[in-house]
Amino acid sequence: MTLILLAGLFALAPPTGVRAYDTPDDGGGAIIIEWQISQDDQILDGYEIYRSDNGIDFEKVGFIGKGRTTIEDETNDGVKYLYKVAAISDTIRAYSEPSAEVMSYPQWINRNKINIFVAFFIFGGIILYFIYHARKGKELFIRKIAGLQAIDDAVGRATEMGKPILYVPGIGYIDYIATIASLNILGEVAKKCAEYETKLINPHIDPIVYTVAREVVKESYTKVGRPDAFDPDSVYFITDLQFAYAAAVDGIMVREKPATNFLVGWFRAESLILAETGASAGAIQIAGTDQVSQLPFFVTACDYTLIGEELYAASAYINRDPLLLGAIKGQDWGKLIIGAILLAASVIGIITKFPILNLFR
Amino acid sequence: MKIIDKLAKIDRRIIYLILAVVVILPMIFPSVLRVRVMPPVEKLFHAVDNVPKEKALIIDFDYAPQTAPELEPMGFALLRHAFRKRTKVLILSLYVQMLGLAQNALTEVIEEFNSVAETNTDSIIYGRDYVFLGWVPPPIIPILGMGESITNVYQVDYYGNRTDTLPLMKEIKNYNNVGLLVSLSGSDPPEWWIAYAQNRFGLQVGAGVTAVSASKYFSYYQTGQFSGLMVGMKGAAEYEEMIEKELAIKSRRIASEALPPLTYAHLVIMVFIVIGNISFLMQRRKK
Amino acid sequence: MKRTFPLFLVLIFGIFALLPYIIPHPIIQNTDELLRNNLLKILSAFALVLGLGSLLKVHTDKIKRKRENWEYSWVLIMTFIITSIIGLFGGVSGTGILPTSIGSFPFDIQTIYFNVVVPLGSTMFAMLAFFMASAAYRAFRARSTEATLLLIAGFIVMLGVLPLGNRISPHLPSFAQWIMDVPNVAGQRGILFGVALGAVATSLKIILGIERSWLGGGGGK
Repeated sequence: MTLILLAGLFALAPPTGVRAYDTPDDGGGAIIIEWQISQDDQILDGYEIYRSDNGIDFEKVGFIGKGRTTIEDETNDGVKYLYKVAAISDTIRAYSEPSAEVMSYPQWINRNKINIFVAFFIFGGIILYFIYHARKGKELFIRKIAGLQAIDDAVGRATEMGKPILYVPGIGYIDYIATIASLNILGEVAKKCAEYETKLINPHIDPIVYTVAREVVKESYTKVGRPDAFDPDSVYFITDLQFAYAAAVDGIMVREKPATNFLVGWFRAESLILAETGASAGAIQIAGTDQVSQLPFFVTACDYTLIGEELYAASAYINRDPLLLGAIKGQDWGKLIIGAILLAASVIGIITKFPILNLFR
Repeated sequence: MKIIDKLAKIDRRIIYLILAVVVILPMIFPSVLRVRVMPPVEKLFHAVDNVPKEKALIIDFDYAPQTAPELEPMGFALLRHAFRKRTKVLILSLYVQMLGLAQNALTEVIEEFNSVAETNTDSIIYGRDYVFLGWVPPPIIPILGMGESITNVYQVDYYGNRTDTLPLMKEIKNYNNVGLLVSLSGSDPPEWWIAYAQNRFGLQVGAGVTAVSASKYFSYYQTGQFSGLMVGMKGAAEYEEMIEKELAIKSRRIASEALPPLTYAHLVIMVFIVIGNISFLMQRRKK
Repeated sequence: MKRTFPLFLVLIFGIFALLPYIIPHPIIQNTDELLRNNLLKILSAFALVLGLGSLLKVHTDKIKRKRENWEYSWVLIMTFIITSIIGLFGGVSGTGILPTSIGSFPFDIQTIYFNVVVPLGSTMFAMLAFFMASAAYRAFRARSTEATLLLIAGFIVMLGVLPLGNRISPHLPSFAQWIMDVPNVAGQRGILFGVALGAVATSLKIILGIERSWLGGGGGK
């Protein structure tokens, strides 16, 4: 009797309402377990989670602190599980009733990402619409971008002075948009170098970007009818270390004294080192990056700077190809629509209680 | 007017020389610049100060050599604070490269305390007052595992001792026995401690971060997820100021010594900008 | 064919790169991981061989033709060979078949990295302070109203982060923090919006083959 009384005194209230369900919008292998906290939650060490695949033998699969009501468990797909949650305090445990049977399985669609995909298709549709119109021969206006306007003059300056052009494509990998945009501009610069017989120096930090750039430059020389003038050693790999690359490029600037430096691509801390050394060597500098943190350094130290998407628009700007210009126009309209939606959503969010922000999560 | 033209085109080597002098001289002749302690650092100090006697403070040393100038003084100051208050301390790193730096900090601070200790009780003894848990890969696993059992995650400490044999670890089992964790890092670990340790287990978390990542972490401080925050060299200097003022701990204030070169370098740059602008405006007026 | 096949590959892989974002199913996720982790690594390894070949060719050519500073090319090539041998045969921490210590003096690849490469990198990083000073002096001129506003904001922020700023006025640090938190973040977010949309548009153009400058020769179609 005393023992039963003592047991009653030290008994913990178990957690209740244990519910287990397959984690939604995932690739399977996970089950979420929810419960209501024990009435003795304040004195607990936490909750232990037990799992069984036969309804008889339960094994411990997790632990979580007191006050918590949910946990996710890693499981094998297609296997039925039951769950129990135990409130623990020191060595005393109070087990809940088992949950209903549950099985995890992978989903084909992540519903949380649908809003982004819808936005992507709308935006893409607008761009394709304007490209379609551009095909019909409609004249499209693009505003002046000083940095791109200056490319011809910059190459001409190098030719007159008999000095080389240094083209630095940044330290990004080939899958960075800024690197691809930089290679587009490199193609154009290489064409002009081929036409004017100006020496081009193009050092690289990434081997894959180096191999692509080599082909881009070679094709440019071929396209203007000067395949013989292409020097394979003008495009070369230096090192894959950030500051070693910066030191090497600085050395090139000081020794070769290029008349024009192009610093176009994805940069990090070495941007100011490159830009300032180029400025001290007396070169005209055209820079461009989408890295917001490096833009102030380029704006300070370079003669022209392409900011963010001006870099991406370079190819369209230089070629004046109607399809590319159509894409730029579509992009601008997309921005306008997004701006209008943001403004409308802000007004709705401020004036009403409608949970407008949930549409964007 | 020739002077105006000269001032508009000062040779950059002169600028470099002057900058080098104003940075090097205060390092050769160190002085301490006192700082006003801002609320985020003050809150962190009080959070460390109020760790209950029966609970431990965990310090996560996650800075690399590049970020050590800003974060190492924070580590030193925290250890001095904890050892002065006789708070139990656990030290760990989420990355293996940081272990050497953590060991350096521990060795130096313990030497400081033990060189003036008169009795065994005054000394800082390994296993009784602190444990260096070391490193377990990958980063997230120990954060989650320590919620249940620290000795299960770190079965041996940095020196190869079984952690379950250490006296301190017999009292400190999991996060329920930890009053506060402070993460010193130049990258993501403070966010991980919030996401996994605080969200799941209710652990109190503070942080010491580099000045560059301050804007990212201030939002966590504003929401109360961080119990306090030290930012950059100045943040470290503020903590040094607190431990000297509140606990009378007299030791070398590395961060405070670094503030004069930082201040003078800023001032030199501002002076040059002013000179450049004055000569520019006068030249423009002349035209 | 030379241009059509790469465009076709870009179309297929470009579309496939989008799918893992919305389809969490393991078939798609595992294939994506195979491509990103395995295929890209293999490509990078081959590209590295090409890159190193290019580096060595440039410098051996320089030595052969005794171009300006050709002696330094010898330094590069010898250092490259020695470090490669130590790295390949000495093991990461001196545990390879080649002994990498003389007495208690180690020269394994880890020691070389931490004692040579890291300090050199830190030195280059430290030069930034000097370059910032000369760039600020040269470029921060009050040429226009906007430039003057920028100058004043820069001064406030620079003073605000120093202990001196607090002595000038206790409100200065808070005002400096406000400049960083509000106008600065607003401007950055504006640029980031444009960059994000530009990236989507550029990716779309490349995937659909409208943008083909990356193939070489410059120009679109």
